[in-house]
Amino acid sequence: MSAPSTTAEVTAADTAGRWPLLLLLASGLVWLVLSGVLALIASIQLHSPGFLADCESLTHGRVTSLAETTFIYGWAANTGLGVALWVLGRLGGAPLRALNWAVVGTLFWNSGIALGLVGIATGDATSFALLEIPRYVQPLLVAAYVAIGVSGILAWNGRRTDGTFASQWYAVAALILFPWLLIAAQTMLLWSPVRGVLQAVVNGWYVQGAFSLWLAPLALAGVYYVVPKATGRTLPSYEFASLSFWTLLFVGSLTGGRHLIGGPVPAWIPTLANASCTMLLFHYAVVALNLRGAFSGGGTALRFISFGLVAYLLGAVLDAVTAFRGVALVTQFTYFSTAQQQLALYGGISMFLFGSLYFAVPRLTGRAWASAALVRGHLALASFGVLLLVVTLAAAGWTQGHDLTRVATSFADIAAHTRPWLLGVTAAQGILLLGNLLLLVNFAISVSSVCCSAPAENSFRQPSTMEAHAS
Amino acid sequence: MMKNGFLFFIGLLAAFVFGWGGIALASHLQLGALAPYYDDGEGSTFPARPPGIASRGQLVYADLGCASCHTQQVRRPDFGSDKDRGWGERQSVARDYIHQVRPQLGESRTGPDLANLAGRKAPYDAAELTQFLYTGIVPGTRVLSHPPYKFLFDERKIDGEVSANALVLPASLAPAAGRQIVASERARTLVAYLQSLNTPYEFPEARPATPAPAAKGGAHK
Repeated sequence: MSAPSTTAEVTAADTAGRWPLLLLLASGLVWLVLSGVLALIASIQLHSPGFLADCESLTHGRVTSLAETTFIYGWAANTGLGVALWVLGRLGGAPLRALNWAVVGTLFWNSGIALGLVGIATGDATSFALLEIPRYVQPLLVAAYVAIGVSGILAWNGRRTDGTFASQWYAVAALILFPWLLIAAQTMLLWSPVRGVLQAVVNGWYVQGAFSLWLAPLALAGVYYVVPKATGRTLPSYEFASLSFWTLLFVGSLTGGRHLIGGPVPAWIPTLANASCTMLLFHYAVVALNLRGAFSGGGTALRFISFGLVAYLLGAVLDAVTAFRGVALVTQFTYFSTAQQQLALYGGISMFLFGSLYFAVPRLTGRAWASAALVRGHLALASFGVLLLVVTLAAAGWTQGHDLTRVATSFADIAAHTRPWLLGVTAAQGILLLGNLLLLVNFAISVSSVCCSAPAENSFRQPSTMEAHAS
Repeated sequence: MMKNGFLFFIGLLAAFVFGWGGIALASHLQLGALAPYYDDGEGSTFPARPPGIASRGQLVYADLGCASCHTQQVRRPDFGSDKDRGWGERQSVARDYIHQVRPQLGESRTGPDLANLAGRKAPYDAAELTQFLYTGIVPGTRVLSHPPYKFLFDERKIDGEVSANALVLPASLAPAAGRQIVASERARTLVAYLQSLNTPYEFPEARPATPAPAAKGGAHK
């Protein structure tokens, strides 16, 4: 990609975009902690069904929807947008414009999510996976997202460089494609619903589209920028990056039918998903080749990114394997699917976002992270937490899947067999929550120190001083 | 292509339309006009429309998020243990769902499949289901296996006669003397919905594929 940076580490683009971008990142972190609390409640309910059962707003179904909505639209969207705008501003070579739109958009986006959560808790959820936010909030989300995206699109159109970079492609794709995706899904599911099982098909397409056309591009936009910057080396095998990009966009959403294997839908839908999952491995292979430098470097950002890279690849391989009917016979409808989802969203996307966040915040504030100990603590807790979460969920799912195929095993027996693993899931959620609290505290201290004393103008800093090294 | 903003935009548009057309539009073209099946022998169409109270109950099922633990889709007899567990004699097909406003296919079997809860092998009657929602304990056992949704019930003083919707509870769970636990309207519609879940009719497309085409009876109208 670009040559190692010879300019000041804190650029004019950073100073101009400081507060709007920090607002996006801060919103993301607050939602992340809230989603951790909700996910913890949901995981306790799986082994102790009586937990909070009297509270109508927190039935397992509702609290699961709340946790998912908070995680995706709260944490991943805000943080991903913050990182994407930052990258587009830096690579565009000029300070971001229309940031007032971004600020207004952020405020409305987050109000929309808050309103949506209240709606879900009071029984207005739509019952579509990943689209649970009630119908009356959905148009607001589209408008707010577009308002936030304007700034990034202007930076892309007004770029002063001749060539373009992979992180720009991914960022622009996420900014442009998500509103289309959301409008199409809303129209076909909420405003003018398609009939019968087609709703499940369209919902599957939306869920996969949200990952392949939105969250993965947002996360990749950050890491394709951070890895060459932090290692100081150009990306190897970069000539394949554009083919990998288009493979993700064209093939990604076709894998949406893999949850419908054996279901009441035309058989070509899961078959197409099966073939597409395998084809999509090309994208993942190229991402691994491009970003392999992350494993050689030290530094917090690269540690998060290399963890994320392994999870991102492993998630793709598991998706491809479980898209085969013989494997799906066991894993479908079990906690194993949840494990795959968590591996991709927490292990992959979130770890990528953490990495970009750790790299971007010091450059936005103009000073290093307040506490290196908190950074190390978060890295340790997040890595261990994700590992424990995915392993225990997968083990619980495998047990559950085999038990389900044996008629003699009753549901009481299945609950007894999975209980030890589900206790592990609760522990993992607790660890992740604690880790994310450390990040939130560190972020709050680091940012508040900027308010209290303005940093020196044009401070030239070496990259090494900008990061807290977790060595 | 990556340098030319316009071409890049066209590429994004093409990618989106490719995925949307390939899945959402294509399946809609195939199944969007799926009609009920008229059986000459029986002189009626299938699937039958659910009663109104069941449709209201489905809204309760949806807003509580029951689908996060229960599927409503039976897999074919040689794929998994669905038939052997008594969840359905045949696989679910698209036609089963055409009258449902919000099909609740579900993606998780933390609890059993409910597509045929009121079918031939129905394990519970309405009274037992109502009681189960309140206690969370499978009749005849002592283990808490489902969240007890007490918020769907009201505890009231017995004023004159005992309510027709009052629960008959075992002594250990019964309320104090002179009081009763009454199922709310939401609980009753939910139970009516659960009691309506049944796919008895064997559509031609739900039969196992056999080499000899044995078309008998019905015609697609």
